Parts: sequence; structure tokens; C-alpha cells
Amino acid sequence: MSATLPLLDRLRIERLVWSLDQQLYDLPRATRISTRREVRTNLTEAAQEVGASQAIRNVGSSRQLAEGYLTARFGDGPRHSWIAAVVFLMTATLVATSLFTEIALAYARGVSNAAPHMTGTLTYDGLRYFQNHVTYTFTDGHETHVGGGFSVATWLLLLFGTILVGRLWRAIPALRRR
Amino acid sequence: MPENSHDPQLLKGILSVLLLHLLAEEESYGYDVVRRLHEMGLTDVLDGTVYPALARLERGGRITARLVASTSGPARKYYRPTPAGYAALSEGIASWEGLVAIVSRRLLQPVNPPSTKGN
Repeated sequence: MSATLPLLDRLRIERLVWSLDQQLYDLPRATRISTRREVRTNLTEAAQEVGASQAIRNVGSSRQLAEGYLTARFGDGPRHSWIAAVVFLMTATLVATSLFTEIALAYARGVSNAAPHMTGTLTYDGLRYFQNHVTYTFTDGHETHVGGGFSVATWLLLLFGTILVGRLWRAIPALRRR
Repeated sequence: MPENSHDPQLLKGILSVLLLHLLAEEESYGYDVVRRLHEMGLTDVLDGTVYPALARLERGGRITARLVASTSGPARKYYRPTPAGYAALSEGIASWEGLVAIVSRRLLQPVNPPSTKGN
């Protein structure tokens, strides 16, 4: 069937299907794949009957269609978003890692500037409560360090933020039905 | 408003019953259902409204789907009502008939032009 459609029309259909698919990540994987296939099949058949432009117009925007499928799955009320949760977790982890690394390096730089030929071991608390202790070993001004990772409090904050941003409690069916 | 144009909000409430009826009549796939709605005269029903409505019925256990290979292209997902779907169809029809009877009784009464006060 699709072989009879011009390449440009098939590309237009694929563009809509791809765009729809990007907005359906909160659906279970199997459902998302099945939805994608079904929409593609229906659109291809419609395009053969009424033309690709009309077929795409009849389906409406990918955003509206995605909203329809998400509502069909999760109901009309507010719902959770795995995408928002993952984006928050990744961004927050990246920013926090970068910040903590800078804090650890800044301390080492400060020591090196104050005592260029330092030899010995030092411990720094880092960002108190949020960062594990950093242990520096200086040998004639050359520095190595261990530690400085996320503390339990930081992990808990990340977890809390992820649940909050993704509104993940709504993923629990019993709570979603309320 | 053109002859075949309908207020989407009016149709929204009855669309699922209509879909169940069409599928009870004949097992169909998404675009075929759209085509049959158009043949009925509901030419302004959009494909983008029907496909999620089918997904909602399937999610609610009122229709079931199976993939059927097509000689002319990729496999199609055919839908048919489940026993719960048939029950929902009966309830939907009864509910619709009741509503139409009540609303028609009122709407088909002639409306007198408002009297002008003070004359």
C-alpha cells in the first residue's frame, strides 16, 4: 500500500508519526509502538483516498492527537510525566556534579596557591550536608583527592525533586482514579 | 452551518456509543470506522477524534483488537466489542433514547415571540 504513495507523502506521514511518538513517551512502550503503527497504517490508507494533505489535516496536530491518546490511557485529570521526571533528574544531577566538582577543585587550588610545595593530607567538608568529605593528598604541590560525591541528603533531594517535578504519585493507579 | 456539519460537543458524548454500534455491526479498523462515520453523514468527524476514542474504548475493556494481515499493506488493527462493550452499547442506546425523548419534547414545542412589556 505504502509503495504507491509518493515519497514526499510518505515522508510527511512519517514526520507526523514521529512527532506524535515523541509526545507519547509516558505511555507503556508496547502501547506506544502499537499506537505509532496504527496511526501510520490509518494515515497511509487515508492518504491514498483523500490525499496526504487532507489525511494529515483530518488527523489534526500531533499535539492534539497525543493528548487524545494520553487522555485515553490516563483519564481526563492531571497525570504524571516520566519525561519531566527524567529531564529533571538528569539536569539536576549534571548541575550538582559540576558544582561539587568545582567546590572540590577550588579548595585544592586554594591550598596549592597558599603552599605551592605542600606535602601532606587534608580533609575538606565540601558543601556541608550535601557533599561527602573530600580527602586531598599533596605531594610536593601535586594533588590527588577522593570523595566529594553526593551525600544521602542530596540523593534524597534529587529523589524528592524528581517525584515532585514528574508528579509521579499520579502514576499509582489507585491515586490516579481519585 | 452546512447540512452535514455538527457541533463536535454534541457528538462527543455519543461518539463512543456510535463506535460500539459500528463495531458490533462489523469488525473494523480505525480508518474504516472513520469512513463509515462519513458515509452515515457525519462528514466532519475527524480521524484524530476517532482514533483516541477507539483507544479509550480498548483501554476500558469495551472493545478488543487483533492484528489482521493486509494484502495491500501493513497489518491492520481490527476492533470488535467485548461482552462489556455490548452491555455498554445497550446502556448507551437506552440512555440516548431517554435523553432525546426529553430534549425533543421541549425543543419541538413552538416558541412564542417574547411579549413586549409595557404595551
